[in-house]
Amino acid sequence: MEASYQVLEELGSGSFGVVYKGIEKATGDLIDLESSDEDLSEIQKEISLLSTCASQWVTQYKTSFVRGHKLWIIMEYLGGGSCLDLMRPGTFSEAHIAIVCRELLLGLDYLHSSGKIHRDIKAANVLLSDTGKVKLADFGVAAQLTNIKSQRMTFVGTPFWMAPEVIQEAGYDHKADLWSLGITAMELAHGEPPNSDTHPMKVLFKIPKAPAPRLEGDQWSDAFKDFIKKCLIKDPDRRCTAKELLRHKFVARAGRVEALRELIERRIAYDAQEGNRELPRYYEETLYNVSPRGTGCTGDANGGDYSIDDDDGWVFDTIKPATIKQRIDQAEASAASADSNASTPTKHKQNTSKRRKLSRVSSGSSAESMLQQLDLNAGPLGAPSPSPARKPSSGLLRRASNNATAVRVPSSSSSTPTARRVSGHQPPAAAKAPLGLDMSYGNGASTMKQFRRVSSAEHCGPVADGSGGSGEMDSIAEHDDNDAADSNDVSTASTSTASAKFGLDASATAFTMSSRQDENTPPSAAAAAAAPRTKLPSKEALLGRRAYTRAVDAALAEALAATASPTKRDALAGLAAAWAALDRADPEGEFLLLRGVLERARADTKLTGALGLSGSAPAAPPPQTPTKPRESSSFAAAGPAAGPALLSPQRQQQQQQRLSEVPPERRAQRANASANANANVAHATPPPLGLAVHTQHPQARAPSAPGTPSNGSPEKRTRLVLAGDNPHLKSHHRRRQSAIAGGAGASPAPSERRERESRGAEHRDKASLGRTLERKLPGREGGDAEHAGVLGDVLFGRWIGGLGGRWQRAA
Amino acid sequence: MAFLFGRSREKSAVDVVRTTRDLLQRFHSISLQNTPAVEKVANDTGRNLALMKVMLQGTTEVEPNPEQVLQVVELILQEDVLRELILNVKLLHFEARKDAQVVLTNVLRYKRPGDLAGEPIAIHYIVKDDPGLVRQFCLGYNARESAFPCGAALREALKYDAITALVLYDEPTDDGRPRDLDRIDPTVPTSEEGIFWNFFNWIHQREFEVSADAFNTFRDILTIHKQLVATYLQTNFETFFHKYHTAFIQQGSYVTKRQGLRLLGEVLLDRANYNVMTRYVQSAEFLKIFMTLLRDYRKMIQYESFHIFKIFIANPTKSPEVERLLINNKARMLKFLPTFLDDRRDDDQFLDERTFLLWQVNQLPDTYV
Repeated sequence: MEASYQVLEELGSGSFGVVYKGIEKATGDLIDLESSDEDLSEIQKEISLLSTCASQWVTQYKTSFVRGHKLWIIMEYLGGGSCLDLMRPGTFSEAHIAIVCRELLLGLDYLHSSGKIHRDIKAANVLLSDTGKVKLADFGVAAQLTNIKSQRMTFVGTPFWMAPEVIQEAGYDHKADLWSLGITAMELAHGEPPNSDTHPMKVLFKIPKAPAPRLEGDQWSDAFKDFIKKCLIKDPDRRCTAKELLRHKFVARAGRVEALRELIERRIAYDAQEGNRELPRYYEETLYNVSPRGTGCTGDANGGDYSIDDDDGWVFDTIKPATIKQRIDQAEASAASADSNASTPTKHKQNTSKRRKLSRVSSGSSAESMLQQLDLNAGPLGAPSPSPARKPSSGLLRRASNNATAVRVPSSSSSTPTARRVSGHQPPAAAKAPLGLDMSYGNGASTMKQFRRVSSAEHCGPVADGSGGSGEMDSIAEHDDNDAADSNDVSTASTSTASAKFGLDASATAFTMSSRQDENTPPSAAAAAAAPRTKLPSKEALLGRRAYTRAVDAALAEALAATASPTKRDALAGLAAAWAALDRADPEGEFLLLRGVLERARADTKLTGALGLSGSAPAAPPPQTPTKPRESSSFAAAGPAAGPALLSPQRQQQQQQRLSEVPPERRAQRANASANANANVAHATPPPLGLAVHTQHPQARAPSAPGTPSNGSPEKRTRLVLAGDNPHLKSHHRRRQSAIAGGAGASPAPSERRERESRGAEHRDKASLGRTLERKLPGREGGDAEHAGVLGDVLFGRWIGGLGGRWQRAA
Repeated sequence: MAFLFGRSREKSAVDVVRTTRDLLQRFHSISLQNTPAVEKVANDTGRNLALMKVMLQGTTEVEPNPEQVLQVVELILQEDVLRELILNVKLLHFEARKDAQVVLTNVLRYKRPGDLAGEPIAIHYIVKDDPGLVRQFCLGYNARESAFPCGAALREALKYDAITALVLYDEPTDDGRPRDLDRIDPTVPTSEEGIFWNFFNWIHQREFEVSADAFNTFRDILTIHKQLVATYLQTNFETFFHKYHTAFIQQGSYVTKRQGLRLLGEVLLDRANYNVMTRYVQSAEFLKIFMTLLRDYRKMIQYESFHIFKIFIANPTKSPEVERLLINNKARMLKFLPTFLDDRRDDDQFLDERTFLLWQVNQLPDTYV
């Protein structure tokens, strides 16, 4: 079956995952199942719900199949784009809105009559075909009521569009969709939903309390105003049904859907004029599929060992094998590093894959765990192919940030509105693909360094960025760490292999021809593609680029994410685009500009104070000062809590170390950069993830590095922040994540911590755990049949509980 | 819907049910033709099913009439509409299939008023009068179109252990008559030709939604009526697990593998299946499967297999072959386990269990005596 579909370019991401266009006028939606820690039954539920919809007002489901650990869902292709896309050139006229509303009502009537609630009606989820047909899409949070009378309690939807009864969690039915429809109609009229200048969090409080929004202004007809009024009745019992609203004169006299063609043409013309069509991104097989044995659960050393001794790693023959010898010769070490090399990309797969399932808050987890789930590890899973010339155009960015995302919050904890799951569609993040395919920015600095390092190894000459000019060996060693830290990037992975070898021999002569070749041979086409772009940049250029990737870009994206009004957002997006252009064209000038800005700001005492530019900044790294001034104060709530826990002590130390090593003139700048970066993290990300990032790159933690130039991690953090939590990220709102986040080894969220503590002393102390278990262990002495029963108790008590939790039975 | 309901008042339940049955039978005989008549029959059937649905569950505005519901359910059973529906549901139009599903599940759920503790009259009817129907429900998985209606109906019925028994112990019979409960002998091993064994194939269907649905039903069969399943598994231990391992764990796709592992854990750790579990963990061959899976390249597979692997290790009375296998691999496990799925560091339960296993492995003697 899969053979009959051929995947073309990426269209965007939906609640299911990434959407690709394929042949046969169908689109494929791709879910990485491996990234879903939970039971797969939620995905199944959605698909079975989708597959029971066949209506001309609902996006048609075709089929779905599993290939590898990817689930492909084939849907009909709707070339017109979403209503949100169509609003890019401007808002809709009343006539158009009337048509869209009528079609939506027809679709809702269809859904409701078969006991389904969509629960996430908004412009972004309304798609148009080429011919103007209007279809409901995105059933990511839709519900099927088993009983025609039953109600739902789950807190789900997207804040601005959510009906009061949904927010109040008092039980709701299909009427909730009609509220959302009213909001959507206002969105189409104004370009944004009501209250869009309010923080989504506050909106959740506001909607139930405030009087229902009304459409105002002379440009709208009374019929339209009345229609909105009928949709937005706060009492669901008094609100009309879809069928009743279809008789409303506003929609009853609406025109034909063909009129919507105008909107599609308008957008096409607009896109052409703006020249802001993105380059298509194509689906690529992931490395998983290419080399299935790329990684293991083994650490690097283990992997090396096992790969030498035997393939499977276990001994299944009956003859006892010789004890495994611990050889630490070079061959083995290189095997180990080869293994790490091989596993690096795959690890990335795992990290990055989580990006897909972020956006909807799952109903089963606590606020903390949800925050924890916010994923920093941005990165393309399907590894969109590079679009080197890609620039963040204003339209693109606007769209991105406009796509607020559906939220699902546990109904049990009404006190957790903070659990707003926000995300942004991430053009910036996508551009920062950690797979090293996109060299435009994000990986820019490190990539360049990598190539520079090659040359420095050859003539041992120039001291690279960040190293304080110690001996050449030192500088090389530092590079090793650098690269290890940076092995985020496929292309650096092999270099680190080479340098690991090099480091082992601790002698420049050991840097053999072959290993140099290793280093010079790009491991992937990506690196090869990058090579021509690489020139030896000046120090200022490097710094400029670094400042951009670490500070400016992140700050811009943050600001963008925190801005709701479209005009402001457009302005910001324009600035972002312009800055990106500057970064590409003249990183050196960029640096000088930044320095100029900072110097002037520092000259002004008030500004210095307000911006935290005081001289103490380098000494006391920003991460330790949670009260950072930020323009988007609305996020500040998350700050104090997140700040201190952000960095492991080790990391803080490293950072301080780093800071103290940097030449003074750069210090300020870097401090600023990290201030920005950390501000981002503090605002939007949960504490554990700061850790998670590091822990997933064990190399990055290598404390042995005496003078680790601060290259890898802060940058990484910045980038990850971007991807993880743009509040308006339209995303694959997918998959509830369990508190056990699959790939992210994060430290427990507060609630979990509390829970754990309450479980008793035995669990607190790992050292005593063994003894505890020993005591618990029934068959310890003797191991007779009578203990079997006790074993049963141990197993059942400890494990069945876990199993029960893991099986999310679809009741 | 309103007009439908209006008409249903005029049309009596008897009419609707009988007409539906006749239409379905007619449909069956002419379905291979490609004439306008077929289309007409399909439309008529759909309309009647919609009527029947409204009679059974009402609409959002109108409650169903209890007397009428009872009447319809009894008629459906009397007139053998259940069988006709199951056999022909795949021929129906899309919406009619969904209506058929609603009708089927409602009928199977319906209990006589005043007897809410007892079993639904349809279940009683199937067990007593038409046990072969269960087979037909299962066979719905043969076609994508009938998978959902039949699957949903089957799961509704599987809430009752008699139905589960009919599925598990289904066997071809000499006289061709389907086995009823009286003819089931739980001590006789299965021939692997009963309907239950087809599930292992249905789970491998290409369409995700069909295979997922089949898996859900399969899981219901194995997990709802624990005592029944325990008896069954003890009699058919070898056959069942051999088939299970082949179908789910060694061959299946990623999804079947992952779900299969999880379900296996659920079954084995069920208290009712205690004897099955102790027998299971005696097998070194089984252990090898999970040791291999611990090194799978997909983390979730590793994780799921860990939950089976741990039972082998925790077992205080290991069989000699298991013990030998573990001892032979002791050094490797001591090296492997400490970093196994190391990024799950917020998963306390997992970490505890891993520590526990390490401790256990450490206790093993270094050489096998």
